[in-house]
Amino acid sequence: MVLSDQEVNYFINTVKSISAYDFSEYSEKSLKRRLQKILIDNNLDLIGLINKLKTNPNFLEKIVRDITVNTTELFRDPAIWQTLRYRVLPQFAQNRNINIWHAGCSTGQEVYSMLILLNELGLLDKAKIFASDLNTEALETAKKGTYKYRFNIGYLDNFDKVIKENPLNYDEYNDVAYEKYFKIDKISDTIIINDFLRKKPIFRQHDLVKGGNLYFAKFDLILCRNVIIYFKYSLQNKVFKLFHDHLYTNGSLVLGMHETMLGEITSRFEKKGQVYRKR
Amino acid sequence: MYKAVVIGGSAGSFQVITKILNSLPENFSLPVLLSLHRLKHVRSGFVEALSIKSQIPIVEPYDKEIIKPGKGYLAPSNYHMYVELNKRIALSTEEPVNHSRPSIDLTFETAAQAYRDKIIGIILSGANKDGAYGLKKLKQLGGTAIVQDPNECQVKTMTEASLKLTPADYTFTTEQIINFLLKIK
Ligand SMILES: C[S@@+](CC[C@H](N)C(=O)[O-])C[C@H]1O[C@@H](n2cnc3c(N)ncnc32)[C@H](O)[C@@H]1O
Repeated sequence: MVLSDQEVNYFINTVKSISAYDFSEYSEKSLKRRLQKILIDNNLDLIGLINKLKTNPNFLEKIVRDITVNTTELFRDPAIWQTLRYRVLPQFAQNRNINIWHAGCSTGQEVYSMLILLNELGLLDKAKIFASDLNTEALETAKKGTYKYRFNIGYLDNFDKVIKENPLNYDEYNDVAYEKYFKIDKISDTIIINDFLRKKPIFRQHDLVKGGNLYFAKFDLILCRNVIIYFKYSLQNKVFKLFHDHLYTNGSLVLGMHETMLGEITSRFEKKGQVYRKR
Repeated sequence: MYKAVVIGGSAGSFQVITKILNSLPENFSLPVLLSLHRLKHVRSGFVEALSIKSQIPIVEPYDKEIIKPGKGYLAPSNYHMYVELNKRIALSTEEPVNHSRPSIDLTFETAAQAYRDKIIGIILSGANKDGAYGLKKLKQLGGTAIVQDPNECQVKTMTEASLKLTPADYTFTTEQIINFLLKIK
């Protein structure tokens, strides 16, 4: 099923006119691919899809969920977690509160990685965690904190790199048991995050395209990783502006491995690797 | 007249790629987009390995980076690399296509849509069929299709699949590919 740019625009405009969702500033290539896949999976052509979207609100919600790419991991890209551990989070150690926003948290692994790290640093009690995503189904999984074990053995390697080893001192080895934070149940093939972590974050649906309506007014730290790669340059800049507005001075924004800030907005941040500190 | 080169390769292409990159002059006038499958254990250090003797800089681009002439853009491991119509790179972690991420087909198709008849597409040695569809699209849109001579390939599955799907403009040895690129004005 190959769609033309006009057909993709027709889809975007229809969704925009019948719902609160707006994909007009999503990255064109990957949106087109998602849409083509949706047509195949649902065995529909574009007209069939549009008609069903117009008459069936639940179907529309499902399609919106299917458009988003939700891949994530516990301690994804360990290097950034080491940076958070040794360079970024210690800056907030003297704060009374540490407000953290995970924008585009998907199924929650990034949030639990942060909580584990905060606990290791003795900062968990000070932390207030707000985690949001567009995809409500992903948020439900995030709240449950239960993940497949078999496909995710890499989580344990990542955990070891971030929690047990110290890249600055190879003699150091913190033998932290996995059970401190999650149970691995090989019979049901699951990894289950412990309750004391699960009840900590506030998970809410939030659309970065719309901005506004955040749980806290200001944050010390915002993580938005592997989300803006699905946005066009213009929308990326709007989202950066939103983050800038909701960061304290000296607060930091963390982007994904291959994401970067370009253009005028860069002057308002001090960049070090994937960490952007608000001036 | 050309505006870009896009190269796809898999098993057996590493030496060919390095030879090509090492032959390009510092002031090469086109961007070189590289969509290469990597072995699981050479995930990192690949860009450094390609850079050692290359005179043009090779980078793993950031998402939405503006494509500039005289620079090599290597699709990062585990990301698809697209070219947007406004000549920026777009990265994505969508599911693999034919078990591949990056997918050579996707890089070729989108690069061809952006550069139309002003692009050269080159398919090198490889053990699967990725790239064949992409090269076909590239040719349909007016681009110049080059396939490495299967007789020279360490693994010829990929080049043969490409030639089967679409007749190439040129079937070249590594030397001939280099000479062709060096003659571009
Ligand atoms: C690939 S996941 C990233 C998960 C995690 N941050 C990580 O790096 O592993 C991208 C997430 O962005 C979410 N997303 C896409 N568009 C969004 C929007 N407009 N507002 C909020 N979240 C969005 C998707 O639902 C998806 O869960």
